[in-house]
Amino acid sequence: MPDNAPILAVRGFSVAFGANRAVNDVSFDINPGEIVGLTGDSGSGKSTLGLGLLGLVRAPGRILGGSIAIEGTDLLRLPEAERRARRGRQIGLIVQNPRGSLSPLHTVGQQIRSVLRAHLTITRPQAKLRSVDLLRQLGLNDPERRAQAYPHEISGGMAQRVLIAMAMGAGPRVLIADEPTSGLDVTIQAQFLDELSKVSRQAGSAVLLLTQDLGIIANYCDRVLVMEDGRLVAEDRTAHFFAAPQDRYSRRLLSLAQLSPPPPPKTAETLLAVHGLSKAFLLRGSGKRLQAVDRVDLAIGRGETLGLVGESGSGKTTVGRCLLRLIEPDSGKVMFEGRDLARTPLATLRQLRRRLQIVFQDPLDALDPRWTVGRIVSEALERPSVGRIAELLQLVGLDPSTASLRARGLSAGAQQRVSIARAIAADPALIVLDEPTSALTPLARVGIVTLLRSLQREFGMSYLFISHDLNTVEQLSHRVAVMYLGQVVEVGTREQVFNAPLHPYSRALLAAHLAPDTTDRRIDRAPGAALAGEIPSPVDLPVGCYLASRCPNVQEPCRTTPQDLQYLPDGRAVRCAPAAAL
Amino acid sequence: MLAFVGRRLLTAAIQLVALALIVFFAIRLLPADPVARLAGQDASRESYLSSQHALGLDRPVMVQFGAYIGVLPGSSGLLEGDFGRSWVTGDPISQEIRRTLPITLELITISFVLAFVISVPLGMICALRPGGIADRMTFGYSLFAGSQPEFWWGLLFIFFFFSVLGWAPPPLGRLNPMVTPPPVVTGFITIDSLLAGDGEALWDGLHHLMLPVATKVFVLSGPIVKMVRQNMTRVMTSDYVLYQQASGISPGRIALTALKNALAPTLTLLGILYGYILGGAVLIETVFSLGGIGQYAVSAVLAFDYPAIQAVVLVIAAISLFVYLALDVAHAMLDPRLQG
Repeated sequence: MPDNAPILAVRGFSVAFGANRAVNDVSFDINPGEIVGLTGDSGSGKSTLGLGLLGLVRAPGRILGGSIAIEGTDLLRLPEAERRARRGRQIGLIVQNPRGSLSPLHTVGQQIRSVLRAHLTITRPQAKLRSVDLLRQLGLNDPERRAQAYPHEISGGMAQRVLIAMAMGAGPRVLIADEPTSGLDVTIQAQFLDELSKVSRQAGSAVLLLTQDLGIIANYCDRVLVMEDGRLVAEDRTAHFFAAPQDRYSRRLLSLAQLSPPPPPKTAETLLAVHGLSKAFLLRGSGKRLQAVDRVDLAIGRGETLGLVGESGSGKTTVGRCLLRLIEPDSGKVMFEGRDLARTPLATLRQLRRRLQIVFQDPLDALDPRWTVGRIVSEALERPSVGRIAELLQLVGLDPSTASLRARGLSAGAQQRVSIARAIAADPALIVLDEPTSALTPLARVGIVTLLRSLQREFGMSYLFISHDLNTVEQLSHRVAVMYLGQVVEVGTREQVFNAPLHPYSRALLAAHLAPDTTDRRIDRAPGAALAGEIPSPVDLPVGCYLASRCPNVQEPCRTTPQDLQYLPDGRAVRCAPAAAL
Repeated sequence: MLAFVGRRLLTAAIQLVALALIVFFAIRLLPADPVARLAGQDASRESYLSSQHALGLDRPVMVQFGAYIGVLPGSSGLLEGDFGRSWVTGDPISQEIRRTLPITLELITISFVLAFVISVPLGMICALRPGGIADRMTFGYSLFAGSQPEFWWGLLFIFFFFSVLGWAPPPLGRLNPMVTPPPVVTGFITIDSLLAGDGEALWDGLHHLMLPVATKVFVLSGPIVKMVRQNMTRVMTSDYVLYQQASGISPGRIALTALKNALAPTLTLLGILYGYILGGAVLIETVFSLGGIGQYAVSAVLAFDYPAIQAVVLVIAAISLFVYLALDVAHAMLDPRLQG
């Protein structure tokens, strides 16, 4: 076989579930050392293709035909025993949901060892050494101890690394990675992809990266494949793909990135001002306190969108719920239209809530399954009328006939539109949007972001947009607040925070952010401003700055002095004395 | 783990104390007159009263309870491990239980272990080849075996294996009357005959156990196979089994991994099943005249033998709680998520 021959060559490959062709006549090549991205909306058949490349299919699916040549041998023509020998040895798979992909009753070390012993002729002690070695190479601290841990005892990021160890342990030349970072936080995602690309480069293997996240593709992939309804609809070099997408789907996805930032609000009037908001939860059993929100100060102007970003567990959602007093804050003020919501009696607050609405992450959970859409939307109306309901549905881009349907029958995007229609029905001044796009497919996400922007332009309401997805935050927000361990560590305009973050945590977060933009690819540069170590437990917080143990420019006083939010002349605020002094 | 077991033992002790209380008083709420039953319907007033006095039923209820618990001076009761004497035979109840309980435990434990050993591989095969011959035959069998009562199967087995084929001994107890029972150490004939090195008694004991055990296993295996099959099917469609396939692990190894995951939840159900079987042992004991604790309990109830009823309820509850605990400990050892 010549050196430049494709390492993986797929021809006419099809998988069917009943009469439905989930993968339909797919053909492509991957060359040695290449990282190829495969994107497409949910349900386009990416995962079925990924599994199918190993000759596997979930019941009751069937492989209809085609060929999958790995290093020149067609996997589908081989007897099952031969195929099995090649899985893990020649072609490895990493999947999303890493913890679900590990047996809960076996240690991760056992599971790595069983792959090694299935493919390599090594003894038990050798396999043991080798598996610990693999974990060490993948950057796990204390790999001996980790190898003895059960899947529920390790974090999602670590579990994902265990899967790499299993997929790469026997040295396959082809690696299929199916949404390997979904569910991981931004900083962990970047670390993970850095390691994945490093490991595959070192091994000279080829990677097929299945992902909905165009940021990942822009930053790591050499080529892009686009899938729609089981077919490959486009194939392009990455730079060219982002500059001039060829197919309808990609054009629609990329349209967001080309949007200009939202126009500034008309007035500079402050609508909502939060001072010293705190909330702690008592943990059952242990009696320990978890400080979910810690002296948070925020302000939102009329007609303005404040993006609230941070990793999981940073307290974003709790802040949003405390504003509406869906969770009772322990202390602090929430000034809204001249009133302190934190001290308003509940009866009055109920009246005020029409001015303050919320949209939740999971749209189906937030809609009564037995009610029709019309009834859900009219609940917020004082005098419900068919005309007004139709008008509201049209405003959120739904057909008025949707009113007679129930939520279950709608797509997730349409469900989220119903949630939004309900929220705007009472003409609110502020809507708390709690990860409204996280449960949606990329296409539906584009639709919701566009909708939120046009509603704001038309009605001038303010948004508190809570999200871990920095791309959507950038497309919606006027100002951005960054949270870490229950505290706001930096607030500033979108440009200030995205282009020149001051706080070391914001810098690390933004450095790990993968923008769908090929001008400064992460794979081509040395990653900077990374944080060391693990995030401290919110139950047992450090005395001084919460970031001190991980900060690259930590100074001695940081470890002992708690940091306060300091307001700077350029309008931003930062919770870091050394950064503020610069 | 020790803390877990300690906590569970403490809870079990509290449950037993509460049970002792409830049984003692509830039994006295029954519209029954044990004195009349013992003295006879036509007894004179004097003999009725003297019977009543002999049973201690002329004392106030709280005094009776004190005597039962063993806090009254000069009497020994539950706290000293004394269940009292049977009103019918006059023998110490602990002695009667020591005679009858091992018979039942021996029967159902052997049946349980056998049923488990047969059902687990069977359930596994059914799950690995759903819709295959083994799966369909097992389905038919469990429907068939489960649809008819246990005592009926016992009678049928006696008819075929004793009357027709002559393979089994007559269903008249635990041992042939011609065989000398081994000296009692544990009360379990199998163990005692092994301890005594008495091959003849061991063989005869097992021979007599053959049919009752076969009946039990025949009826018990259906639900266990079903549980194993169901859990195994669920595990076989899990992401981790798929991932092991994708990693090129051999089918045998995958099946082992899956089995461990399927067995863990099955164990809890087995505990419940064991307690249930223990309570219903009387049917099979009666059919084979084994004289176990089930039969003892029924005769105690029919004779209004209060101390015996109280003792049997407590002993059976204690055994059930112990089996639950043992299986929970085994479950926790299989599943690390339950520890800590």
